[in-house]
Amino acid sequence: MIPTLFPAGKGRSTHPPGNLKNKRVELVAPLDARPDAARIHAAIDPVLAAVVVALIGFGVVMVYSASAVQATVQYHDPQYFLKRQVGYAIASLLVFFGLSHIDYHRLYKLTYPVLAGVGLLLLLCVIGFGHSGGGATRWLSIGPVHVQPAEMAKLALVVWLAYSLAKKAERVKSFTVGFLPHLLVAGLFMLLCMKQPDFGSAVVLLLLTFTLLFVAGAKVGYILGASILGAALGAAAIRFREYRYERYLAWLNMDQHKQDLAYQPFQSVMAFGSGGPFGVGLGHGLQTLYLPEAHNDFVAAIVGEELGFIGVACLCAAYLLLVTRGVRASLRAPDDYGSYLAFGISAMFGVQALVNLAVALAILPTKGLTLPFVSFGGSSLLVNAAAAGILLNISRQGPPAPEDAVTPDAPPVKPAKFAKKHMQDTPIQQPLPIPDLPNEVAG
Amino acid sequence: MLNLDPRRARWIRLRMGILCGAMGIALGGFVSSAYRVQVEDGAEWRETAERQRQRRLHVEPKRGTVFDRNGTALAVSIEVPSVSADVVEMLHAAETPDAQAAVIRDASLRIAAALSLPQDEVYEKLQNKRRFVWLKRRISGDETALIRDLGDAHKTPRPILGLNIEGEGHRYYPGRELAGTVLGFVAPDGSGKDGLELALDDELRGHVEELSGLRDRSGHLLFSQANTQADALAGHDVTLTLDEGIQHIAESELDAAQSTYETKGGALVVMDPQTGEVLALASTPGYNPNDYGASDVDARRDRAVTDRFEPGSVMKVFTIAGALAAGTLSPTEQIFCEHGIYKVGPVTIHDTHLNDWLTPTQILAKSSNIGALKIGLKLGESGLYATFRRFGFGEPTGVPLPGEAAGVLRPRSRPWFDVETANASFGQGVSVTAIQLATAFAAIANGGKLLEPQLVKKITDARGETIKENTTHVRRESVPPGVARMLSEMLVAVTEEGGTAVEAAVPGFRVAGKTATAQKVDPATGKYSSDKFTSSFVGFVPAEHPRLVVAVVLDEPMIGHYGGDLAGPVFRRVAEQSLRYLGVTPSTPAAKLATVTRADDPADQTIAAVESSGAPPANTSIVPTQQLAPLGPDAVRVPDLTGMGARDAASAILGAGLVPEIEGSGRVSKQNPAAGSAAAKGSSVRLVFEPAS
Repeated sequence: MIPTLFPAGKGRSTHPPGNLKNKRVELVAPLDARPDAARIHAAIDPVLAAVVVALIGFGVVMVYSASAVQATVQYHDPQYFLKRQVGYAIASLLVFFGLSHIDYHRLYKLTYPVLAGVGLLLLLCVIGFGHSGGGATRWLSIGPVHVQPAEMAKLALVVWLAYSLAKKAERVKSFTVGFLPHLLVAGLFMLLCMKQPDFGSAVVLLLLTFTLLFVAGAKVGYILGASILGAALGAAAIRFREYRYERYLAWLNMDQHKQDLAYQPFQSVMAFGSGGPFGVGLGHGLQTLYLPEAHNDFVAAIVGEELGFIGVACLCAAYLLLVTRGVRASLRAPDDYGSYLAFGISAMFGVQALVNLAVALAILPTKGLTLPFVSFGGSSLLVNAAAAGILLNISRQGPPAPEDAVTPDAPPVKPAKFAKKHMQDTPIQQPLPIPDLPNEVAG
Repeated sequence: MLNLDPRRARWIRLRMGILCGAMGIALGGFVSSAYRVQVEDGAEWRETAERQRQRRLHVEPKRGTVFDRNGTALAVSIEVPSVSADVVEMLHAAETPDAQAAVIRDASLRIAAALSLPQDEVYEKLQNKRRFVWLKRRISGDETALIRDLGDAHKTPRPILGLNIEGEGHRYYPGRELAGTVLGFVAPDGSGKDGLELALDDELRGHVEELSGLRDRSGHLLFSQANTQADALAGHDVTLTLDEGIQHIAESELDAAQSTYETKGGALVVMDPQTGEVLALASTPGYNPNDYGASDVDARRDRAVTDRFEPGSVMKVFTIAGALAAGTLSPTEQIFCEHGIYKVGPVTIHDTHLNDWLTPTQILAKSSNIGALKIGLKLGESGLYATFRRFGFGEPTGVPLPGEAAGVLRPRSRPWFDVETANASFGQGVSVTAIQLATAFAAIANGGKLLEPQLVKKITDARGETIKENTTHVRRESVPPGVARMLSEMLVAVTEEGGTAVEAAVPGFRVAGKTATAQKVDPATGKYSSDKFTSSFVGFVPAEHPRLVVAVVLDEPMIGHYGGDLAGPVFRRVAEQSLRYLGVTPSTPAAKLATVTRADDPADQTIAAVESSGAPPANTSIVPTQQLAPLGPDAVRVPDLTGMGARDAASAILGAGLVPEIEGSGRVSKQNPAAGSAAAKGSSVRLVFEPAS
């Protein structure tokens, strides 16, 4: 329970001392081990950037393939959803690359305003300003734009948790300072999500909170206890809301309910199955005729049908790569804040993708979560792109290759070459002998 | 993390590793599930998906239309809209049970109002939350519009989701009973069940399976491309050779005959002898295919095609044709008719009229059995049988109607004994159908060519492209053209003074034909019944250049039984009205004879005989009516017909440019419009006949 505070620069052997004067805010090390200004504009992680761009592009294609039928029926325009998704994709790419140029350290000043703003939007949504659709009040209309505050809540919570946990550092281990406040804020957000109702987002928020608390060193006992409590509350939420319980039962006995409550997951599995190993070909899927909202939460089913197991495996590989590069950025981040932020964002992508895919394959009951970057929807795409932009910026601030440090003003190196250099990186941090482990961690 | 206490950093890495491992395991679990579903069970799922599409896509394409030769629709399919609901779709936006109940209550209230149904009924149907439930079938245009509005977000603030309007095919026969036995009917499942609807079901029905995958979960067609495809898949249109006008004439005359003579049934065929096209095919009793359930099964068959009967004397025509063609008979030969009684083996044959010496023409005109059997016996068993076969008896004519009877020539499947040959010569012991008689007479009328009767003129697809067009098909030459011409002239004598069918003569035309009165075999005794007959008349007109062959068969008339008296007038009225309908101008017999007579024609002498004895039908009654000044360009004065016989009255009416509608028999007792009043040219005059007291 002893806070271990390091003065700035002490933990970083490669930190050029000449740039210390550029710092605007004096903070303790875990939150603000700011690198020099040159590093902010250092070359990005090309693999990460490529994966994100590829997923967004893939999403546009799949949204078109999955939505053409519904768009024709509803709007008499097969490209109705395509046009919108292309617009969102362009905007999200701008956000993605734009944010990658903004030092993530500037974000912590925005942490509370964003958290409060998103909380307010969620509240507005719940107390009656929301826009109904698909059986829930998940949207807020701001002029012609419909925003989904729950999507923003995920990123806002991750940003806040990373800031707060990094700031509290060793105090995270305490219950009152390190554990309870985080759980209360997350709990409030979850409650607002549940009210919409958006059970899926609430579950993701809980998972992200536990993930970051666990990573930052909260006591496992607290997390386990809270998990049990959360599970009990979740079970109660399912059991005592009749429609949720019916859905749950329908999910358990899918064969009996394939015409009513389990219609969507059943059709989704049918889509996966009829794709076979190699798929029926892009644009040749017929399950779009039977799967409602195929371009939204069930776009994975259309991937499965049209591109087959090969396509699904490639999609999984892409998410694996995305999370791996995100975790890599986390490990290489210059400070705790960056590290937590990168890990939280990576976990956000990973958890959402996993839950969505599992729902599409009827491993989990229907949740209403999007597949990051691929599903149709402006809010989801823009928020995920923003998160990816932050991640990309963190990836920039990793330890440089020796020549980068020597010539910071050198023109950007070609991505491929850059990637190779990083592969050759030697661990900067020397393995140090650890005499004994802190008891708190073990507990 | 780079700036951290290494111990703490390691712990953080360890925890990150644990979480990444957990995610990795979850991903692995997902991929293995995907492998199981897609690779291992893929084929099974694909089949399930296929079944789902096919089951939901079974929607009947539009059935083709049946037209008469002039393009009048005889059978049409109309799409009658029906409304169904997908309740799961309807409840899409409502997740909680309360909200769902509210949606169902609200929807049932509004739907019930739109469809004028009791609300409870609609509520019950929606309550089950099925994906498909019929709300109301065969709704009106107003109801369709109201339902559309209910589902339209622009028309109503709270649109009801999941309401679908689908067209259900319904077969409609605008002519009601007209050609009902020819057309048949369509069962509710969309399959043709009788007549042409059955025979041409494949063509009319169209195809369903190729539409698969182009409909969504509520069964809607999605792409306009599918609509054009639906057009291509729709059933073909069929144009018949039937002429609605002639069919109408034939049916009303046959109906009149049925009520006048109280027949058990009747059949009438009108055919174009040059092409084999069937212009009318009537059968009584008929039925209305719009309401086929209300009719007797017995009434639905087309007797002209399905019923075989002993033809009787009409077969003498073919006996003589065969003998003339084989050279065993010369046209001028005198045959001794034994004064009405003749014994063949153990059987004694009688003639109705007692004659001694008759020419073949007179044998036909007086219908001498003994004369015919002598010619038949001279021709020989095999010669007679072959002749009958050459005229198409004993085999189906190939008319595309279900259940066509072939008729029987050799009932015991062996050559005839002499008695049987003798009987067959005048049409006993063999059976034929009305359509066979018409086809065989057409062969005589057209110079010996046995044609296949045509009922279907052409088949076109829904886009109007011709799939199949039938043309005249000659099966074989029955007799040489010379013999056919000679026979035509001989047959004219039948309808002239001294013949058995003067009642069949059409004013202004020369009619060739033959009567028949055949005793029916009583199924109880196996012997010929003394009071059950088949009366028939088959003939063609004008004799010198035949336009129409008409075969009339009356089954078991209760009042009278001689073919000439019963079937003859039916023939006359049908031929008279049909010729008029077709615009064939009456010809004086003398003028036309010249064209028929040829120097090398072996029938010369017969023709000369006919010419000298022929008293052309009296058309004196036409002259005075034509002298009456018409009231307008298209109006005529109705002549006074009271007290006239049927024949005279009909002539007068036709002469005035009107169409007679005959009821009863005897002499005219009433007429409508009244005598002297004005009537539009071509309109009908109803004549009520009563037996003269």
